[in-house]
Amino acid sequence: MSIAARPGEVLRSSLDTSLLRYRRSWGLWLLLLIAPVGARFMISDESGRGVVIAVQDQLPILTSAMLGVWLGIVVTTLLLPVGYIYLRANTNRRQPWQVEEVTAAPRVAMLIGRFAADAAVLLGTLGTLTLAGWFLGWLMVSGPYHLWQIAYPLWLIATPPLIMLAALRILFDALPWLRGALGDLAYFFLWMASIVMPLVGANQPSSFTSNLFDHPGFVRPLAGPEPAGEMNVQIGGVDPATLKPGRIDLDVRAGLHAQGYIAARLAWIGIAVAMVLIAGLIYRPHRVGRRKAGQGRIARLLSAGPPPAARVDAPAARPAGLPALGLVLAEFRLIGAGRLFLLLAAAVALMGLGGDYRHMGSPAALLLLIFGLCAHAGRSEARGLLKLAVTTAQSPMMRRAAFVVAGTSWALLLAVPAAVVRGSGEPLALALATGGAASVAAMVLAALTGSSFAPRVVLLIAWYVYLSS
Amino acid sequence: MMLTLNTISRSYGRKRVLDGVTATFPTGLTLLVGPSGAGKSTLLRLLATAEKPNGGEMAWDGAALPGSRKALRAVLGYAPQAVDLPEDLTAREFALHMAALKGLRHAEADAQFGAITDRIGLHADINNRIATFSGGMRRRLVFAQAMLGAPRLLALDEPTAELDGETAARLSDLIVERAREAVVVMTTHLADALAPHAVQVLRVDQGQVWPA
Repeated sequence: MSIAARPGEVLRSSLDTSLLRYRRSWGLWLLLLIAPVGARFMISDESGRGVVIAVQDQLPILTSAMLGVWLGIVVTTLLLPVGYIYLRANTNRRQPWQVEEVTAAPRVAMLIGRFAADAAVLLGTLGTLTLAGWFLGWLMVSGPYHLWQIAYPLWLIATPPLIMLAALRILFDALPWLRGALGDLAYFFLWMASIVMPLVGANQPSSFTSNLFDHPGFVRPLAGPEPAGEMNVQIGGVDPATLKPGRIDLDVRAGLHAQGYIAARLAWIGIAVAMVLIAGLIYRPHRVGRRKAGQGRIARLLSAGPPPAARVDAPAARPAGLPALGLVLAEFRLIGAGRLFLLLAAAVALMGLGGDYRHMGSPAALLLLIFGLCAHAGRSEARGLLKLAVTTAQSPMMRRAAFVVAGTSWALLLAVPAAVVRGSGEPLALALATGGAASVAAMVLAALTGSSFAPRVVLLIAWYVYLSS
Repeated sequence: MMLTLNTISRSYGRKRVLDGVTATFPTGLTLLVGPSGAGKSTLLRLLATAEKPNGGEMAWDGAALPGSRKALRAVLGYAPQAVDLPEDLTAREFALHMAALKGLRHAEADAQFGAITDRIGLHADINNRIATFSGGMRRRLVFAQAMLGAPRLLALDEPTAELDGETAARLSDLIVERAREAVVVMTTHLADALAPHAVQVLRVDQGQVWPA
């Protein structure tokens, strides 16, 4: 047996096995199919069908280069969370870490292999989107039709964020506290920051530094090389009635070749690779079985406490009179499992007593529920557990329905104090709508993906839209 | 070759699973016995460097861990009870990936995997996806990857569970053969059958380890 594994062999093996697993999963082929089909909905006309990009309240003239820029911007702003969900919930999320982590194989090589596979899959999707862009260009472009002018801006804008996304996934998998719900929350904030940050550099003349703030890469192509001042750019979610007639002529190629723009795009790829190397160096192994419960007063407060005394003569349990109700109660208890959830639930209910319930109490309750719902939905939709659940008298579909009822009941319960204090049914109506929708979405997405990653990220984005609307 | 533990402790929160364990594991087969939840698997995880002790010292061939952890891992074969196996790979693809992580030559590892699986009755299925495997087949696969190379420390957690008597006996033969030149530590419910081949049988109970 050799003393140390060769880094090159470890990297190659990690890359090969990851790509092999991707190739065998239906998720990859679905993603490769969705990208070109969805491309049509990434470009809008005056009717507002599709994703609108408006500059100075006008749609841009759709030249070949503008089409590439448009597709690229939609990928780097609105679609990045879809990529994140795919990477976190795909077939490669299950790794045999129990035996891998006790080998002498260098972590850096292992992670670079996986990163390369993730990046290859995302760039493969970009490839199919390019094909779709060429087809759309043939139908929609004004002026000369150039394949290169569509592909070049698309890849220049979208490649760095996609590679960065692959790196971020690897970094999150390297640290125990980012492997679960906290990682999803962290990604949500990073994504929001990545969309807001470009505005910091928009007021400055184009340079490497100012373009480095522009992770999604939309400022220079849309605003040009000069300082943009107050940028009037809207991406997605634009009411077509608010748009001015006519189209604005943008010289996107001048923006793409602005001082420091290409260098900044390449730098983001370098940052991504550096991040993977750091992930390899700071990698922390998974925790086996029992978690460190911690000590002290807080740990005692949060612990479940000692079990009730066992009754040795306890008879066999009889069938429940109302099994469906029992199922709802069981789901209710499991969604709100743990004293921490109960403490936060009390705090959230108190928050709803004062202020504007629509913008304080209701979002706070929804945020808490998102974590409770997604955690339980992900656990109960695990493939292994489903095999057991199908053998019980209550079918999995019945349990899913009970989950939705229980989740909605939690939302209503959290809104009751606000409704009583205000003497109004409005908090309950809001809770019914948000709790019901969140419960259905959590269950559907968890059932489709078999994990809690997808529902959590989708619901966090929906939560932000709800909070800010 | 020898693995030594000196006053090793391991706790989970306030629950102390191992409490100042001192033991020596020489070349040969060491069986760990004891009631469920006594800490046998925890002890194996410590030996396999899958976990770190809260206190005490471990040494491999006289060199203290964690300094010698990399050297120990380079000669380690580990078969835990539960592994998140990659369902979409075939058994052979998974084993060759593990061989690459262990730094083994591809062709030789492939040949050795074929030989091991032939002896434990898994060879006909090595090109099938793991998703199609039964519990017993998964056990044998995890055991086979642990045996790849010539591990000088083999940590096996109930490798014969879920196996029929004949297959368990074949697997035990391989373990006994390996124990002639390696430190082999295993937990098993077949302690009576393997005890004649063991250099020691240790009982793990209430956080302590002593000769059974």
